[in-house]
Amino acid sequence: MSTKIIDSKKRSILPDFREIVRYKDLFWTLAWRDFKVRYAQTTIGLIWALIQPIITILILSLVFGKFVGVKTNVPHLVYTVSGVSLWSYFSYVLSNSGSSIITNQEMVKKIYFPRLIIPLSKAIVGLIDFGITLVILIVLMCYYHVVPSSTIWFAPLFILIGVLAALGVGIWLSALTVRYRDFQHVVPFIVQVGMYITPIAYPAEFATKQLPEWAADIYFLNPMAGVIQGFRWSLFGGDPPGMFFVISVVMVLFIFISGLFYFQKVEAEMADYV
Amino acid sequence: MEPEIAVSVEHLSKKYLIGKQKSDSLRGTLTSLFLAKPKDTAEEFWALKDVNFKIKKGDVVGIVGRNGAGKSTLLKLLSQITKPTEGVIRINGRVSSLLEVGTGFHHELTGRENIYLNGTILGMTREEVKLKFDEIVAFSGINDFIDTPVKYYSSGMYVRLAFAVAAHLEPEILIIDEVLAVGDADFQKKCLGKMQDVAEQGRTVLFVSHDIEAVQALCNKGILMEKGQIKEIGSIHDVLHTYSNVSGHATKVWDENSRPGDHVVKLNEVRLINTEKHPIQRADLDEEVGIEIIYEVFKDNSYPTPNFHVYSSTNVLCFILILDEQIHQKGTYRCIGWIPKNTLNNITYHIGVAITTLKSMKVHLDIKDAVSIDMVESKIQRDMSYGGHIPGLMRINFNSEITKL
Repeated sequence: MSTKIIDSKKRSILPDFREIVRYKDLFWTLAWRDFKVRYAQTTIGLIWALIQPIITILILSLVFGKFVGVKTNVPHLVYTVSGVSLWSYFSYVLSNSGSSIITNQEMVKKIYFPRLIIPLSKAIVGLIDFGITLVILIVLMCYYHVVPSSTIWFAPLFILIGVLAALGVGIWLSALTVRYRDFQHVVPFIVQVGMYITPIAYPAEFATKQLPEWAADIYFLNPMAGVIQGFRWSLFGGDPPGMFFVISVVMVLFIFISGLFYFQKVEAEMADYV
Repeated sequence: MEPEIAVSVEHLSKKYLIGKQKSDSLRGTLTSLFLAKPKDTAEEFWALKDVNFKIKKGDVVGIVGRNGAGKSTLLKLLSQITKPTEGVIRINGRVSSLLEVGTGFHHELTGRENIYLNGTILGMTREEVKLKFDEIVAFSGINDFIDTPVKYYSSGMYVRLAFAVAAHLEPEILIIDEVLAVGDADFQKKCLGKMQDVAEQGRTVLFVSHDIEAVQALCNKGILMEKGQIKEIGSIHDVLHTYSNVSGHATKVWDENSRPGDHVVKLNEVRLINTEKHPIQRADLDEEVGIEIIYEVFKDNSYPTPNFHVYSSTNVLCFILILDEQIHQKGTYRCIGWIPKNTLNNITYHIGVAITTLKSMKVHLDIKDAVSIDMVESKIQRDMSYGGHIPGLMRINFNSEITKL
C-alpha cells in the first residue's frame, strides 16, 4: 500500500509529471467537455469552427494581398492560410487557458487534481481548430496547384514548436490570472497586437527590411514569428530559417520551461486565491 | 508508519491572509453612535493551529464543531486541495474526497456525459466509470432522462445523479463534507445507507456534518474542533456529549453582583430562543431567531432602549436591531427582538447586547459577543440547480421577476 506524505516543508520546483500521466483520463475528459459544450445550443454548431477562420483569411488576404500588394512565392491566399492556421491555434490557446483556472474555480476549490491539466487540455482542444484550417490549406493548395516543397517533413517539427509556444504562454497566463485578474484584460490585447506583429499574411522580411537591425531582433522575440516563418518554409520552400528562427525557438523554450516552474510555485495555493 | 493507521496528522497548521477591512463611513457612523469601537482586523488568520491526530483503518470519524472551527479547512488539507502552512500529513491508501456533490457537472451535457465527467474528476478512470455505469444510473433513479442535458433536470434529480456517482467511488479512505444536506429525506436515507455499507466494508471515513443524528448513526469515533484546534477526540458518544455542552454560549445569566449596567438599568439574562420560546444554539435558515433579554430598571420615567448588534464570525457588523423607545418605570422587564427568518446565512453569528438612552446618547451597558448562534441549512429548499454554500454575511429572501421584452 502506498503512503502519501504531504509535508509543508517539502516542495518540488517542477510539476510531478507521473501524477499528470495518472490523471490522463481526466485530461481527455476535460478536453472532450470543452469541445462538446463549445458550440452547444448554436444552430450551425461546428460550422462556426469553419466560418471564423475563412472570414479571417479572406480579410487578411484582401488587405495584405490586394490593398498592400505583398509579394509572396505562392498565391497570397494560400500564403495567408498557412500563417492563419498556426496563429489561430496560438490565439485560441491563449484566450482560453488564460482564464481557464478561474472558469474552473468550482472544481479547483473542491477537488484535488494536478491543476496543470486545465491549461493542457485547452492546448488539445485548440488542435481541432488547427486541423480545420489545415484542411482548408490542403484544399486551396490543390486548387492552386501548389506543390509542397521537399522540406514538408519538417512541418510536424514546426507545429510541435508552435504547440509548445502556445502552451508555454498559456501556462504562464493561467497561473498569473489566478493572482492578478488584470491578465484577463491583457490577453485579448496580446492576441490583437500579435495579429499585426506576427508574419501571418506577409513575409517576415517584408517587416524586418524596413526596420533597423536591432528592431529586427526584437521582432523575432515574438515566438510565433519564427515558428510561422519556419512552418511556411517547410511547406513552400524558399530561404531556410536562419538566426532569427533560433531566437524564436530559444524564446519558446524559455517561456515554456519558466512557465512550468512558475505554475508549480503558484499551484499549491491556487485554491486559496480563486 | 504503522500499517493499521490510515491517516496521521502532525502539527498541522493553515494560515490565511485576510485583507485589512476598510471601515466605511456608514459603519463608522453607526458604531460611534453606539460607542462600540470597530475591532482591529487581523491580517493573519490561522484556520488551523497545531492539529495532531491519528485515525485507524476502518474507523468512521465524525468531525463536529461550530461554523468556522476549522473542519472544512482540515478536510481541504487532507484532500490535498490546498497545502498546509506547517506540519505533515501521512495518508495510507487511496483517498476520495467529496466536498461537494456534482463537482464539474456541466449544464449543457447530458446525464450520461456528466457521469463520465464527474467520475473522472473524482478520480475514477473512464474504464471504472463504464463498469459501474448501470449501477450508478439505477441508484440515481433517473433512467428516463439519462440522455437529457442536466440543465433540464429539477434540482432534486441533479443532486440524485451527482450523489449516485459519488456513492460508487471505491476508495480506501473517504472524506465527506456536509454533502448530505442536499436532497429530499428519502434520498438522504438512501445515501446514509450507502455510506453505512462503505463503513462496513472496513473503509475509513471522515465525515463532517451539522446533522448530529447522522453523525451519531454513522460514526464510531469523533473529533470536536474549536477555533482551529482539536478540543476533544474519542468515541463519538463522548465527543457529541461535550459538543452539546458547549452550548453555554447561547445563554448568559449574570448573578446579582456581576450584572452589567449602571444606576439606570442592569442586564440580568440574555438568551436565544425559537418561536416556541425554547432556548436554542442552532437554527435553520427558515426559522425566526429571538434575542431575549431580561433587565432591571431603577429609574422611573426613563427611556432605556435595548439594541442588538449582529456580528459575523469574521467580526463584521451585519446589522443592528434597535427597539422602539418606550417609557420605563422601576421594575424588571423582558424584551425579545426577532431576527426574521431567511435573513441570516448559514454561518455563525455573535450577538452583542447594548442598552442606550437615545435622547442623551447615554450607553448604559454594551456587552460584545454576549451570545452566538450557528445558522444551518439542514435541508436545501432552494429551487435552483446549485446546492453548495452561498457566500455572504446575510442571505435575504427577496422578490424578483424576469420578463421577456
